[in-house]
Amino acid sequence: MRRPWLIVLVVVWALLPWVLGRHHVDLLVFAAIYTIAGLGVGLLLGHCGIVTLAQSVFYAMGAYASAIITVNLKLPASLGFVVGMIASGVIALALGWPVLRLTGFFLAVATLALAMIANALFFEWDWLTGGTVGIGAIPKLGLFGFVLDTPLTFYYFAWVVAAIAMLLVHNLVAGRTGLAMRGMRDSLDAARVLAIDVHGLRVTIFVVCAVLGGVSGSLFAHYTGYVSVASFTIDKAILFLLIPVLGGAASIPGVVVGALFITFVPELLSKLGDFHGIVFGLALIVVVIAAPHGIVGTIRQWRKRALDESTATPGEANK
Amino acid sequence: MTAPALDVRGIGHAFGGLTVLTNVSFEVPAGRIVGLIGPNGSGKSTLFNILNGFLVPQSGSVMMAGNDTRAMSVEARSRVGMVRTFQTPRVFEHLSVQDNIMVGACKLTRSGALSNMLSLPRARRDLALMREVAEAVIERFGLQRLREVPAAKLTSGQRRMLELARAYAGKPQLLLLDEPSSGLNTAEVEALGKWLQTFNDEGMTLLLVSHDMQLMNIASVVNVLYFGEIIASGPMAEMQRNPRVREVYLGM
Repeated sequence: MRRPWLIVLVVVWALLPWVLGRHHVDLLVFAAIYTIAGLGVGLLLGHCGIVTLAQSVFYAMGAYASAIITVNLKLPASLGFVVGMIASGVIALALGWPVLRLTGFFLAVATLALAMIANALFFEWDWLTGGTVGIGAIPKLGLFGFVLDTPLTFYYFAWVVAAIAMLLVHNLVAGRTGLAMRGMRDSLDAARVLAIDVHGLRVTIFVVCAVLGGVSGSLFAHYTGYVSVASFTIDKAILFLLIPVLGGAASIPGVVVGALFITFVPELLSKLGDFHGIVFGLALIVVVIAAPHGIVGTIRQWRKRALDESTATPGEANK
Repeated sequence: MTAPALDVRGIGHAFGGLTVLTNVSFEVPAGRIVGLIGPNGSGKSTLFNILNGFLVPQSGSVMMAGNDTRAMSVEARSRVGMVRTFQTPRVFEHLSVQDNIMVGACKLTRSGALSNMLSLPRARRDLALMREVAEAVIERFGLQRLREVPAAKLTSGQRRMLELARAYAGKPQLLLLDEPSSGLNTAEVEALGKWLQTFNDEGMTLLLVSHDMQLMNIASVVNVLYFGEIIASGPMAEMQRNPRVREVYLGM
């Protein structure tokens, strides 16, 4: 086995919920759900240089698709996932095609506008979404005869889904497409000259991001059993952007760390009482200043620098 | 007779009220090195941007190997073999030298996002091919020691070399070079000239924009651009004797 630490990680992961209390397992489930959505945002931010605030839109679409398919239409949950993914992908394609002609701040603002418009529509179209009342009694997921009706069972399921998403994203960024993405991020013009269809690639990755958002939303709907417009506000869009920013945008472990941060840190701070919001804000500022490449990204840089220093000093003359 | 690699016909372009190119026509025959010189502000950069598709000319046409490029994007022109470099090299700053060159080799492969995500054999083959091509290019350009160095840390001479190596990795048929020798010392310019000559010997067509008379000697034909018009063209030695060219450009 090439990666012994992976076995350790899997063992820790498997045992963790038996050690932690139910409440912390619940937070870990949310961390898994947010990891999946955050992976998409990280792909755009870290590898394409695109700031998106629209991930809440696709998270909502996945959640509503699952809720409507299972509650209103009484169809199987798996169909909800599929419809949520397809709907997210198709809408991302339709929105991304024109919007991704923009770059930089204009694009970020445009995605923010999309999130705001979508939130207003989810509120207005209450015949479909239930508006502020929402849709409740979403059935629990069943898998091979087991019902995932506790945080513990859902924990395993959600993290397996997250692991699959991580593997797919890992393959994507390690391959030809990842190279093209990072080239395009560093210089759009140079990439075009080298025959990289930059617009097509940006739209494709936007769609990938949206589909991950959709899966994440479907999981959320089945886990909580209830969705309403309150879960899909701008706050959520910002939260999804924070995940890769805090953890490290171009790094998959970074996204996991970012997702753990935004689920656990506010919870730990809530013991402080009324001030916890302010302290969380300060914590964000401290992390962003101390770790400008995200927590994992910055640790990697330290390690690389230490490695460079230890190898560079004595051997230089012999080269 | 084969169609010229580039056939530029009657290109005119203005930015607002400022006419930059009035009526530019010249040919780049396949398999040759053609030069384009002209003083600052003569419209060289605008012309270059028109040739590779960053700009759409207001009049005239650019034919590439007999095909009208009007409907072709920058990417499409690159796919059929036209690659350019930039006056200020645009390397991928955060990528290593090796990765920069691999991006240059992307156009030799086709696998899309889905096959990459699923790590299909096709995607793995493509990556292996790109790595192989990059390795050969690294060796050819003598970049072994810089392989893992991020492009942001390179000197300006190294950046030029990397940009050239990256363009070369995509096996272009037609390479447009925008001031490739600026920022290089005499020895480096000489080395560059030799490189370009070898590319040409391998069958690559080159269009060279430069101020550098030393480098320009490798061109078989030189076109002189002055205030948006080609005022003379011919071998460099002839251009240096041409009284009009001496007056406007060489300042003699």
